[in-house]
Amino acid sequence: MILRIKGLSKVYPGGTQALSSVDIDVPAGQFLVILGPSGAGKSTLMRCINRLVEPTSGQIVFESKEITGPGRDLRATRRQFGMVFQQFNLVKRLSVLTNVLTGRLGYRSVLRSLVYSFPEGDKRIAIECLARVNMERKAFQRADTLSGGEQQRVAIARALAQEPKVILADEPVASLDPKIARQVLTYLRQVAKELGITVLCNLHQVDYAREFGERIVGMSRGSVVFDGAASDLSDQVLRKIYYEQAA
Amino acid sequence: MAAVLPARPGWRLHHIVLAAGAIAFLAWCADGVNLRPKELAGALPVIGEYFARMWPPKWEFSAVLWKPALETLYIALWGNVIALLIGLPLGLCAAGNVVKSLAVRSAAKAILNLLRSISELIWAVFFVAAVGLGPFPGALALGVNFGGILGRLYAEALENIDPGPVEALAATGASRLQVIAYAMLPQALPQFVTYNLYWFEVGVRSATVLGMVGAGGIGFELVTTIRLFEWRECGVVLLLILAMVTVIDLASTYIRSRIY
Amino acid sequence: MNAVLAEEAQRRAQRLTKALLWGSGAAAVLWFTAAQIGLNPAALVRGVPFMLDFFGRMFPPDLAHLALLRDATIETVQIAVWGTVIAILLSIPLAILGARNTAPHFFVFHLVRLVLNALRSINELVFALIFVAAVGLGPFAGVLAIALHATGMLAKFCAEEIEGVDRGPVEAMQATGAGRLQVILFGIVPQVVPAFVSYAVYRFDVSIRAATILGLVGAGGLGFSLIKTMKLFQYHQTATCILVIFVLVLVSDWLCARIRARIL
Repeated sequence: MILRIKGLSKVYPGGTQALSSVDIDVPAGQFLVILGPSGAGKSTLMRCINRLVEPTSGQIVFESKEITGPGRDLRATRRQFGMVFQQFNLVKRLSVLTNVLTGRLGYRSVLRSLVYSFPEGDKRIAIECLARVNMERKAFQRADTLSGGEQQRVAIARALAQEPKVILADEPVASLDPKIARQVLTYLRQVAKELGITVLCNLHQVDYAREFGERIVGMSRGSVVFDGAASDLSDQVLRKIYYEQAA
Repeated sequence: MAAVLPARPGWRLHHIVLAAGAIAFLAWCADGVNLRPKELAGALPVIGEYFARMWPPKWEFSAVLWKPALETLYIALWGNVIALLIGLPLGLCAAGNVVKSLAVRSAAKAILNLLRSISELIWAVFFVAAVGLGPFPGALALGVNFGGILGRLYAEALENIDPGPVEALAATGASRLQVIAYAMLPQALPQFVTYNLYWFEVGVRSATVLGMVGAGGIGFELVTTIRLFEWRECGVVLLLILAMVTVIDLASTYIRSRIY
Repeated sequence: MNAVLAEEAQRRAQRLTKALLWGSGAAAVLWFTAAQIGLNPAALVRGVPFMLDFFGRMFPPDLAHLALLRDATIETVQIAVWGTVIAILLSIPLAILGARNTAPHFFVFHLVRLVLNALRSINELVFALIFVAAVGLGPFAGVLAIALHATGMLAKFCAEEIEGVDRGPVEAMQATGAGRLQVILFGIVPQVVPAFVSYAVYRFDVSIRAATILGLVGAGGLGFSLIKTMKLFQYHQTATCILVIFVLVLVSDWLCARIRARIL
């Protein structure tokens, strides 16, 4: 198990219970889809893993080491988790290559990176990652000149440049139209398989979940309500995930 | 069938009170500044006559004006450089998404406010007393005042950037400084440049009067011509200022169109 | 891979060369102009004890002096108010005449733009100087000075807004057979009102700042007290004056920001 989430809960200051005692064990190399409607807590769960959000209680164990709790080296942990966002979140005015290079910032000393200088090794890694998503031809274009699908592929390349063990994809295709969405998810799955990276992918689209997920964790209102293979995703289960109102 | 119109909110009592209050306020202000319609009507022809005395401009006078005019531009230039040097660090410290500490941010904002509120002319008087007459105190005065103005604008620009890329870079394990350098500054940069270009223009206009207090530029010549009632010479100075500002305006528009 | 790396190196070299060229050009200009204006960090450092002495003599501010400044402060605000009001009244017709899409004639457009540029480029203080000579000392000259400069700024801004309006509603109005003036009043003006009001409030803020120093040339307001106390070496009173100006500008800033936030 590369990642074990035990009893994770998150209550926001206003009183909203975003996560209620979530338990998930993730074996290395798996393409795990977290399926659920918006507000189910999928984003919160993901952000608790790389500590963009602090969990209220519970434990996350990564590679047999606990990463929750105070005094953990945040930078070192975050380097291991590559994140892909719904809004792509590239720095628009910078070139594609520079955007991917920012994935290496976690490994670089602060001073050298401040003058926008990266070592040759980093550039090789960045170009290779771009090649994996077939975007190396546009390496020198400004990020905002690309289409949505292209930007997301660059974002995936940026995550890959971190040489991560896990990729956290938070609704990566929600802003893309179906054909491009499938293309991006295919890239994601393929690249992860090639490099042996575990993928946790938040989705709200049931058909993508079925098509791409080796294993599906269904979430509703902060709790896990389903954990199994895509084939086990029956209508009854879907109703539980999507339509269940307050008990 | 007759149509039924929704009830229109007509003039309520508080509207009338507000309007009456505004009129009373304006009347009180007008009284305080001796603004009466008769005076106004009388003043306009007098002013017109004074402007008429500036025609035809005494073009020969421009020979002594080139140096002060250029000096005005240099003051505006260095004023903006100093403003950048003062405003950028303070602006960074005042931005809510760059610095977390409320104490630091409040201190930075307080300093910026102090620099902004005191007119550059007052700063000029102060700096002239400190370092002597000439364009140097003028540049300092402009720099200090504009530093406060620009600093606040920089802070606002930084706070208005898209937080998405900031979150993304933090998620890669980048340190705070790296996030600022790669996600925040590139986004805010176009705004920074726009602000600097605009305030350079304003700076040129402000620098034209610094000479009044001995801080260099064409202001001294201007004041002298007015005090000596040399209206035709004054006209030349005004035209020169107009020309300078127009040229800067055009250049600035051109530069702005090129960088976007 | 190697092709991309090579291109990256090439681009980096190009960027570096360009940066060096612009950088050294800028440095040369700055060096030259610094020499021209006598930029002298040493003199600044030497002046520090003097500045500290100055500050020392200003503290503590003489708060008893506040009472004497009351009238000047009120006058400053009144000057700014009427300066802005006159500017608003004058700039509306001037803006309409000075916008490409509403000017009745090409010649009128250019003439108005020229006049506005003249008004904009001349500082309030310069106008104040001239008007004091023409109509005498006092706040009246100050009001006119602020009004003219603000008119230039406000009218140009408004004209640019008018030029940038959405054509849709305008065409719709024209299609109904409305006359030219009606199209302007009902199709164009309503679109620019929020931005115009917001900018007018901003101009008021700027005018307050300008009004505080008009007194330097005898055009009313706090500036006179400021310069008088300085010339008489009454530094504690000068400090009070500066304090009042500071607070006035701060309050005006806050007020204007609140009003503008409510408009937009």
